Amino acid sequence: MGIQEIKGQEGIQEYQSRKQTGQSEGFQESLIQNLESRKKNDENSTKADSNIRKNDSETNARILGALSGVRVNAVAQREAVQTAEVRHMSYEESDNIEIAVTKGYTLKGKLEGQQVYVEAKYEDGRTEAYQVDTAKVQEGTQHRIEQFALETVGSVIG
Amino acid sequence: MEQKFEKGQRWNYLVEEYQTMLYRVAFSNLKNRADAEDAVQEAFLRYMKDEKPINNREHEKAWLIRTTIHICTDILKSSWHRKTVALEESVAVEAQKTYLPYQVKDDKTLEAVLKLPVHYRNPLYLFYYEDYSIQEIAGVLNEKEGTIKTRLRRGREEVKKILTERRP
Repeated sequence: MGIQEIKGQEGIQEYQSRKQTGQSEGFQESLIQNLESRKKNDENSTKADSNIRKNDSETNARILGALSGVRVNAVAQREAVQTAEVRHMSYEESDNIEIAVTKGYTLKGKLEGQQVYVEAKYEDGRTEAYQVDTAKVQEGTQHRIEQFALETVGSVIG
Repeated sequence: MEQKFEKGQRWNYLVEEYQTMLYRVAFSNLKNRADAEDAVQEAFLRYMKDEKPINNREHEKAWLIRTTIHICTDILKSSWHRKTVALEESVAVEAQKTYLPYQVKDDKTLEAVLKLPVHYRNPLYLFYYEDYSIQEIAGVLNEKEGTIKTRLRRGREEVKKILTERRP
């Protein structure tokens, strides 16, 4: 009863006039708080899901789809590799370059603190960028972007 | 006087900005230092003679690359060039590498790319070694983007064939 009345303006006014002071206020506040809290949780959950889905689909399907036979540790990758905005970094600006003519892509990497910015250009015209947190990359990773990020760190540090 | 000074500035800018890149493009086509230098100089001269406006750098760059490639094609067709000997492939690759602003890790693939027919070689060379986008290459070569994508795919298959044939 209470919930239905609260939903409409008329219902609220009616409820306000009929309710006994102090009896239902606690429940009402709690209900509103719960509803707001659930709404926030739902929004966060949806956002997180879409981010994970975006990362998984873009990174796995596109990059790794091009590199057949590569096994991916999806959990590690989700943490270490994040999609980023493409900056169109030149070869001159890059710390590390991979020109893979026979596989149809190029990779450019630049060390930025603990992270490596990686830009991938594909033969079909796509250009994608990733931020790789090298501290989160698992040892012996088979993921090409993660491997390339580690190679970039190695090429800079020596 | 003022106009001459502006022209001089423009000339310096053009040479500094594009000379090395155009030389690499010319050399990838001609595999001969002297001819590549001639082609680049001719491209600059044609640009200055045509009084092209400098207001759009992308168009300017595209025009220079396109003209250089056309000049290379003319040189390759000339009877004089047919009598000269191009550098041996491995020497040509070494020479090409020295002008690139980064280290090429895979000589064999670069050598295979330079061996390709011109309609595959230029798109592949510009895409992979000069880092041009498909859109830019389409503009430079006056072709549709779809055509460039097809040539990149087929050219890649040709490179694979060359590399496979070479294996003992």
